[in-house]
Amino acid sequence: MGIKIDGLLCTACMACELACGYHRDDAFALLSSCIVPYRGQEKKNYVGVMLKEEDSLVAARPEGVEINRIGEEQDPDKEADASAKPMLLRESCDLCEDLDEGPLCIKFCPVDAISME
Amino acid sequence: MEYLASDKIAIVDLGSGDITEEELDEDLVLEKIGGAGITRFLYDRFEAEDPIVLGSGLLTGSLVPGSALSVMTAKSPLTDKVSHVPFVLDAGMEFKYSGFDYMVIKGTSEKPVYLWVHDGIADINDAGEVWGKDVWAAVDYVREFMGDDLIQVIGIGQAGESGSTLATTCVNYWQGGDRLGFGSLLGKKNLKLIGLRGMGLLEIAEPEDFVEDCAELVSAVKSGPLQGKKGIAQMAATLGAENMEDWIDPLTHRHMSCFNTPFPTNSFVFMDEDPALLEESKVEEPGFLLTDIHPLTLFKRMGLSAKDAFNVLKGCAKYGIDAAAVAELSEKAGNTSPEDIEKSLAQLKGPVDSAGNSVFSPWAWVGDQDPQAWERRQAVSYIFGIHPLFALLSSELTEAKLLDLASLGTELELTQETLDEVVAGITGK
Repeated sequence: MGIKIDGLLCTACMACELACGYHRDDAFALLSSCIVPYRGQEKKNYVGVMLKEEDSLVAARPEGVEINRIGEEQDPDKEADASAKPMLLRESCDLCEDLDEGPLCIKFCPVDAISME
Repeated sequence: MEYLASDKIAIVDLGSGDITEEELDEDLVLEKIGGAGITRFLYDRFEAEDPIVLGSGLLTGSLVPGSALSVMTAKSPLTDKVSHVPFVLDAGMEFKYSGFDYMVIKGTSEKPVYLWVHDGIADINDAGEVWGKDVWAAVDYVREFMGDDLIQVIGIGQAGESGSTLATTCVNYWQGGDRLGFGSLLGKKNLKLIGLRGMGLLEIAEPEDFVEDCAELVSAVKSGPLQGKKGIAQMAATLGAENMEDWIDPLTHRHMSCFNTPFPTNSFVFMDEDPALLEESKVEEPGFLLTDIHPLTLFKRMGLSAKDAFNVLKGCAKYGIDAAAVAELSEKAGNTSPEDIEKSLAQLKGPVDSAGNSVFSPWAWVGDQDPQAWERRQAVSYIFGIHPLFALLSSELTEAKLLDLASLGTELELTQETLDEVVAGITGK
């Protein structure tokens, strides 16, 4: 069981990131979230969602989901996303295990781009 | 101020180069709540020094749906009134997390500068490299120089530098909510842009209750009348303006939200790329983010094709001139050629009807609304930090609910009576 993200539905509102940050810090902050919309290609409007899991970094891109196993060598011809490195330093998604109602990111996503699989 | 705040006001003197800091007094929040209530208070305090005041709402950057807005308060060169313009997209949130709740920018710099506001630090930096450049080049410069593509920028182009009263403050590459000529105010101060980045943390007085109430609001909004609607054309139609879906949709790439705003009020259009493209475009500048309904309505009425209109909007954003004013003046002059409109930008002069006569930027004036109800809703949005268009669309966000959330978040007793007084102080009514 894990989190499933439709990168095409995402509108980059960052509600998931803020909800996750609250789960981590009991305050509003964005620095420790394990789910982050990537917004670094603003002029091209290329937007998706990145999720740090225990063993992998999930990139839910508009064209599909890419799962990169943490520690495995990446394709040297492929340019790394600038936001990938800080993500690797963050805690992994714990599915908000202390909450009966499940992950907060799902609860706060206004467009249902995030669900459980 | 312990909760939902960084507890810091910056006083930036561009004339001397000095930056001082003050605490955000809890008594001031009890009296003025936040956002435009406090920016107006600070404006009055520093009025003799011709200030521009930035401020976040009390709920900006929180999980309250629509918490995207920060506000800029100054005297509009178009209306001569002390007025308020919103900055949304992600810039309002970024200001909230920058380590400052409010920022007074006073005086005039001798040479072009920009402000770099981050993590509780405000720096005045030399802008010699970017003065004279368009808005897009300036945003690219500061992001590249600082090595961070997520820096949010409130900036001006050549229109603001030249002192045009039609100059607007853009948010990143796009038209912001400034219809009141604030771009010329930055230009007069020799202030090219304000770069914002924040990694701050906002404590909440009653976190569990606050977040549970926010979740209930999100759920109510999702199952309400906005369900399934998205994009600038559907928003315009929902608010009673002309339905432009057939005109806009063929070039629409995706609909985009401002920070934590459930309804995506913006639409990104591709003029130089296939709008159906899913992968990252290889074109550097394939399109434009539509954020403002009014100029779209005018350009469509003037008979421009959608592609031509979007290219004119892009030209306006690069030059840093209010596209609504450009559309209005072009229509009055009978100038309906997109090439001629772009060539005319440097010669256009106000006054313009598109500036309205409220103390709030008419950016969020859409359709046929009751002016008094509209102004009241704007005031409440600008005090709490709620996206002003989303506030018009979302009846779930009642004043009582916002006051409840503000009290839960801060442990302060904020009443309807206080809110009424603050609204009256801002609107003068």
